[in-house]
Amino acid sequence: MLRKTVEITNKLGMHARPATMIVKIATRFRSEFKIIKDNMEINGKSIMGVMTLAAEYGSKLELLVDGVDEEHLLNEISELFISKFGEE
Amino acid sequence: MKGISVSNGVAIGRVQIVSKPKLEISKKAIEHHEIEPEIERFEENLQQVLGDIDHLIENIAHSKDDKDILSTHKMILQDPEFIKKIKKLINNELLSLEMAIKIHFTDIVEIFNNMENDYFAQRSSDYEDVAYRLLSQVLQQKTDFLENVAENTILIMENISPSLVTKVFAKNIGGLCTEKGSKNSHSSIIARSMNLPMIVNIPDLLKNVKNGDLIIVDGNTGDLIISAKEELLLKYNGILETEILEKEHLQKLIDIPSETRDGKRIKLMSNIEIPQEMKQVLSVKSEGVGLFRTEFMFIGQTKLPSENEQYEVYREIAEGCYPEDLTIRTIDVGGDKLSQLLNIEHEINPNLGCRGIRISLRHDEVFKTQIKAIYRANIKGNIKVMFPMISSVGEIHKVRQIMQECETELKRDDQDFYPNLKIGAMIEIPSAAITSDMIAKECDFLSIGTNDLVQYTLAVDRDNSSVEEYYQPSSQAVLRLIRMTVRNAHKAKIKVAICGEMASEKKYIELLIGLGIDEFSVSPGRLLMVKNEILNVNFKDAESLDERIFCALEEVE
Repeated sequence: MLRKTVEITNKLGMHARPATMIVKIATRFRSEFKIIKDNMEINGKSIMGVMTLAAEYGSKLELLVDGVDEEHLLNEISELFISKFGEE
Repeated sequence: MKGISVSNGVAIGRVQIVSKPKLEISKKAIEHHEIEPEIERFEENLQQVLGDIDHLIENIAHSKDDKDILSTHKMILQDPEFIKKIKKLINNELLSLEMAIKIHFTDIVEIFNNMENDYFAQRSSDYEDVAYRLLSQVLQQKTDFLENVAENTILIMENISPSLVTKVFAKNIGGLCTEKGSKNSHSSIIARSMNLPMIVNIPDLLKNVKNGDLIIVDGNTGDLIISAKEELLLKYNGILETEILEKEHLQKLIDIPSETRDGKRIKLMSNIEIPQEMKQVLSVKSEGVGLFRTEFMFIGQTKLPSENEQYEVYREIAEGCYPEDLTIRTIDVGGDKLSQLLNIEHEINPNLGCRGIRISLRHDEVFKTQIKAIYRANIKGNIKVMFPMISSVGEIHKVRQIMQECETELKRDDQDFYPNLKIGAMIEIPSAAITSDMIAKECDFLSIGTNDLVQYTLAVDRDNSSVEEYYQPSSQAVLRLIRMTVRNAHKAKIKVAICGEMASEKKYIELLIGLGIDEFSVSPGRLLMVKNEILNVNFKDAESLDERIFCALEEVE
């Protein structure tokens, strides 16, 4: 199991489009994927979960991956955050 | 306001907004033994809705935004947590599927509505839409949207289904406007073939109109005018009156045979894209169908249509046409449209790529399925088949060979079929027109597709407005190719039809008759207008008009 904390750096926050991107990538992998924000833990493969996080600009998220391809999953998801989901 | 005009004509009337009916849930709880069937029902309905959304993405959604929204809807329905939750509600709480869906989505929408950030909160609409879509599927609720709609009103909707367009027409509603939709959706196609004024894709339409507003729908330009000044209203009333008079005049032509003033018969047929258009084909007494596009069975589908599915469609239309002929065009799409079904590689330039007959010859199993279905449907012998994107006679030879194989296989499988299937080549590539003497010898008829012929001859994309001035259907180059094709066909004693848009444009009809075209195939909505033109043409004059054009040219040379 791997953990990593990421920060949301795009101005609009994690709205529908970034949320869709995260889920699209996550569902390609077999590992379990959880996102924790404050006291809320959700399934990162669930669009409903990711959207209900309502993660705004500047908020910190903890990514939790567990499974055979966890490393690749974590890398790809972190990359999304770094690239600001292709916005700005 | 302005939208995309999909069907010409003017309408003036009072606004009537038709919105989604309320969904009523009657069965709320289930017994223990119903759990399993209820979960099965969930899975079946879910697959159905996902399929519907795929269809919308491929065929109806107009903009990238619409497609993105629909993809999000798909993702919401495929969400593992959502699926888990519904099953849990059915299993643990003994709720009916309907109730489980309602409760789940009500909770989610509540969460969104309580979000402080408006930008996030507005996503609740996605969940409301998805819930509605799924629930109406589960409930199979069929409501009469048009129960309280009066004649000559202007119907305003968010979007409209093809079947509803037919009902709108039957109710004598003046015009139709939708906030969403695209020019080539099935709904738009039907409106067009029925000459029902219709404008689609009008941003914020539902916010800007209210019931009872007097509104002008200008289907010719795509303009929608609310509370027009008296002057403008007068002007439009004038246009409307002229259109009504013209319509009445055209209606009188239905039973008059299509021939020129000096008695040359010009066969007048219809182009159709979907079976629902047959109603209109029959009502204008078209001499059969000169072009049935079969793409609707392939595009946006999750699987290829089976031989039986195609057989049913072809047989029904052929019966509708009888005793007139039905001309079926085999699949004519670019690889881009079928990439999901056939595993086709991405092409940089699909218009010059593997499309039309090239796809059929490459994927001959798909082609054979279609050809066999056509053979079997030809019970009464009134079906003809034609092939798009023929570039040389070699393809006709290959097609003949495949048809032979189909006949052998049908015989082997003891299937009934009518052996003498007449075949024709579409002449829409310059090389086919140039070698039409060779092609004509191998075919029973030719059909000129002017849209592509003009594009390929002049190297102009019809949809690219920056080269609009170069799109000249009556250019010397195109006319020469048409003349060449007609002469070669007549030498081989076969007929030539024309089925592009050029055939239903007033200014070209006399010219085309003069060139010797035997048959016109046009949209059923324009058929009577074309007949009116034909009736006014004198063939002898038309012939000399063409001679003058070509003489002038030869002098210049």
